[in-house]
Order: sequence, then C-alpha cells, then structure tokens
Amino acid sequence: MHYEAEHTGNFNDMIEIEKLTKRYGQHVAVDHISFKAKQGEIVGLLGPNGAGKTTTMRMLTTFMPPSEGTAKVAGFDIQQDSFEVRKRVGYLPERIPIYPDMTVWGYIAFWAQLRDVKNMKQVDAILDRVQLLDRRKTLLRNLSKGMRQRLGLAQALVHDPPVVILDEPTIGIDPQQVIEVRDAVRQLGEKHTVLFSTHILSEAEQVCDRVVIINRGKIVAQGTPATLRTQLQPGAHLFVQISGASAETILKLLRTIPGVSDAQPNGNGFSVRTGTKQDVRAEISGRVAGAGYALLEMRPVAMTLEDIFLDIVGREATP
Amino acid sequence: MSGTWYIFRREVVQYLTSPLAYTVAFAILVITGFLFVGDLTTALTTRPVNAAVVPSFLAFGMVVFAPILTMRLLAEESREGTLELLLTAPISDTQIVLGKFLGAWFYYTIVLMITFSYQIILLTITRPDLGHAISAYLGIWLYGGATLAVGMIFSALSENQIVAAFLTFATLLLLWFAEYAAQIVGTVELAQIIRQLTLGGHFSSSFGVGIVRLEDIVYYAGIMVVALFIAIRVVESQRWR
Repeated sequence: MHYEAEHTGNFNDMIEIEKLTKRYGQHVAVDHISFKAKQGEIVGLLGPNGAGKTTTMRMLTTFMPPSEGTAKVAGFDIQQDSFEVRKRVGYLPERIPIYPDMTVWGYIAFWAQLRDVKNMKQVDAILDRVQLLDRRKTLLRNLSKGMRQRLGLAQALVHDPPVVILDEPTIGIDPQQVIEVRDAVRQLGEKHTVLFSTHILSEAEQVCDRVVIINRGKIVAQGTPATLRTQLQPGAHLFVQISGASAETILKLLRTIPGVSDAQPNGNGFSVRTGTKQDVRAEISGRVAGAGYALLEMRPVAMTLEDIFLDIVGREATP
Repeated sequence: MSGTWYIFRREVVQYLTSPLAYTVAFAILVITGFLFVGDLTTALTTRPVNAAVVPSFLAFGMVVFAPILTMRLLAEESREGTLELLLTAPISDTQIVLGKFLGAWFYYTIVLMITFSYQIILLTITRPDLGHAISAYLGIWLYGGATLAVGMIFSALSENQIVAAFLTFATLLLLWFAEYAAQIVGTVELAQIIRQLTLGGHFSSSFGVGIVRLEDIVYYAGIMVVALFIAIRVVESQRWR
C-alpha cells in the first residue's frame, strides 16, 4: 500500500501538528503544541505521567477532537477527514484492548476487515512478523502479557498504515520482551512513520530519531537526542578524583576555580559543572597541583537524555 | 455497511460461544416449553389451544432477558478498552451500534424461531390458528427488538454490566408495568395515553389477539430508532469526555 498526502502540506510530513490544544473544563491537558514527523521517522513523545502524551495521541487517532489547533496525518485533517486519517493510522493504546474469547487469528482478521484489508494473507503475514503465527488458534485470554503486546502491534500494522502511533508499548512487560518490542519499533521506521510515547528516557534515546519532550501539556524541547544534548547542556560536566585533603577542603578549592558553577561529591570523586562551555580542565589540574594535592582522574561526563529531561522538567516544576 | 456486517458477525459469534447467552436461551426454552405443554393439556378439555402462549409470556420475559442479552454489548467494549480501537477504526459510531444491536436481535430471533417449532408440533395434532400465531410472533419479535434497543442505551452509558442490566430492567419494567397502571387510572383519556406509550399496550390487545396494526409496528420501530439514536449519541459522547 502506498499513501500520498492528498491535501495541503508537505509530502514528507506525515504528521503535522499546529498549536494543538485539549482542555477538560479548566484543565489544559495539551497546550498549543506544534511538531512534525517526516516519512520514515521515529519520533518519541517523552514526558512524565500526565504530561499530555496520551491525549495528544488520542487526538491524532481521531478518538477525541482538539479544543483548538489543527493536526494532519498523511496530509488529512484529523477533524475534517477523520475517516481518511483512521485508514492511515495504526494505533496501539497503552492498555492492549482484547476480546478474550477470540482466537489470535480471528482477532487480527476482525481488525483487518474493519480496516478494509482485502487480502487475508496479510493476517498470516503480520502474525508471522510478530512471531504469533504458531499461536493463531490460541484464545486471547491464554496469551501472556508480552504476547498480547505483540498482538497489539500486529493489529496496529495489519492494514500496513503509513503512520503508526504507539502509546507506551513497553510498559508492563519483562526486559527481554522490552528489547523485542524496541527492535520491532526500530524496524517499523524503515517503512512507517512512528510516533512512540514513553517515559523511559533511555528507550527514547535508543529507539527514536527525534524526541519531543512534553511536560504539563507543553513542548519543552525537541530535536534528535544528540542535538538535545548539545543544545540543552548548559555547560561542561567533569568527574574528578583528587587525593591529599578532606572532601570539604577539595570542594572549597574546586568551587573557587573561575568558570566552575557547581561541585558536588560523587562516589569516590567529585562532579564539577561549569556554567558555560569554557574548558576548565587546565585550571583544575593547575590549582590542584599548586595546592599540593594529587589529581588521580579527570574525565568529561556525557550528559544523558535523562539528565536533560530531569533538568528541563525540574526547571518547569520550579515556579 | 461492511463495518456493520463485521461487527454484527462478531456479536453473533460472541452469542453463540457465550455461556450466558445459552443460559438465557435455555431458560426461555424451558419456561415456554412448560407453558406450551400446560396450555396443550388445558386445551384437551376446556378450550382451543392459545397460539400466542409463548409470545404472551415473552412480553414479560423480555423485561428480564433483554437486560441480560444487552448488558455486555457496549459496556464490555468500554471496560476492556476495545471501544477506543473501534472508535479509531474507519467505521462510524452508527455502524458500531447498529452492528451490535442487529447481532443481539438476530440471536433473539433464533431463540424465537426455535419456540415457533411448538406451532409445528401443534400442526401434527390439531389445526391451530396459524394467523394468530404468526401475528403474535411478529409482534413479540418487534417487541423484543424494542427492548434490546433500550438495553443498548444503558450498555453504552455504563462500563459496569450489572449497572447496565439493572437500569435496562428498571426501564423495561416501568414500560411494562405502566400498562397495568393505565387500568387503574380514573380518566379514560389519560389511561389511553399511558397505554399508547407502553410496550405491552401495543402487543396484548393487537398482535397478541391476532391483529396486525400499522400503528403498533410504527410504535416498536419508533422505539428502536429513538433508542438506537440515543445509544449512538452516548457512544459519540465518549469522544468528548
């Protein structure tokens, strides 16, 4: 199946969100967010619980209308052309919805038919892809949680949609299954545009081409994990190990070095942060040697997405 | 309409594999079987057989059975989260509700047809009033459809099947009991108005006695249309909650 955007918008932009807002009474769950996802891109929607990820996804799948703003999926407006959007979206909600009395094959065939799939061989093909073909006659109530997750993925993909929306697909499954689902999502990026929500930062870093960080309904940062690290890291972060004096004395010394914004004990050494990109390593080694102490180790610490996330969310939380 | 067909087919399969649906069918068949035999025994000595014995029982029976047959239809979808997937599939809310309603009505029709076999048994031993029987069966078929449509509203309203069943039962009981309430109202005009609004009022004195009137057909069809319209709106409201 091949889809082309038939309405306005860039052909490459499979998801275009413009000032999308959702209000529940006085509460603003999603607040004027805007972002795009290109064809074949895996975009991670990252945020703490209650940040507005599921609400955003539900609007994109046309489950609920926005209070304000617009969104297009594969070139179709979610409100004006909701049926066209639904045909082009594969959706895996956070809680895998199943009919316990149905067989694996019957369940996937049911969703395939509702989504106008003519060739029922696609059902076998997708079950094979998620390694459930040998369970085709098993009742859904007898499937493990991991298998249900794969089944959910199969129902989202059976009609070969150009856009796949996955709401926390790795939640509640064991580590081995998490790896399998992440691999499956990575493979999806070869053919589909994937919007993938998670609150696990390392997961977003591993799986996604681009990350949109959302907190309290607002986008607080977006870009590739590498870009976010470069752009949002306010300064350098070093780990130093020094001997020859008490921790308090060394901390005092480190904090007096020009350019050092903060120094904290960290295991058997110290974490040193600078407020700018200024390189303070020469200054540190000089001061330490000058004071008669021994510098045992000094290395830069790469800021993880987790650090950036906690930093941003922490800043947002501070009034 | 293909969406309606797939939903309908799933519901029929669901009924045919559901122990609860079999229990309802078993209860209907056992009770109507006893009533049929009882009526036949009486008919041997005192009067002709009553062709409407089964439909007349179901006029009250559906007050109990319709809530059981419909309580699961939308409440379970809502509770299991499958409604979210249905509402994001390329089918309309109307197709979802209609497919489920037709599935329930089809199952009821199957059970009703099984009870019609009593009339065939009668044919082998006497000459029953088939016109009366067909009229009564047509009436109770429409009556059943109307009760199932009312059940759809409450199944759409509540995630809890027991609550859905109770609310349906209470509403149907009111609609059934109002016919008797009309009998004790002092004003004839008021009694007639109340009777026109009740489910039983359009069955017992028309279909039930072998008379097919357009106004009664329109009444039951109207109840179905209005109830399904409300159920569709309730499902639609899930998007706004």
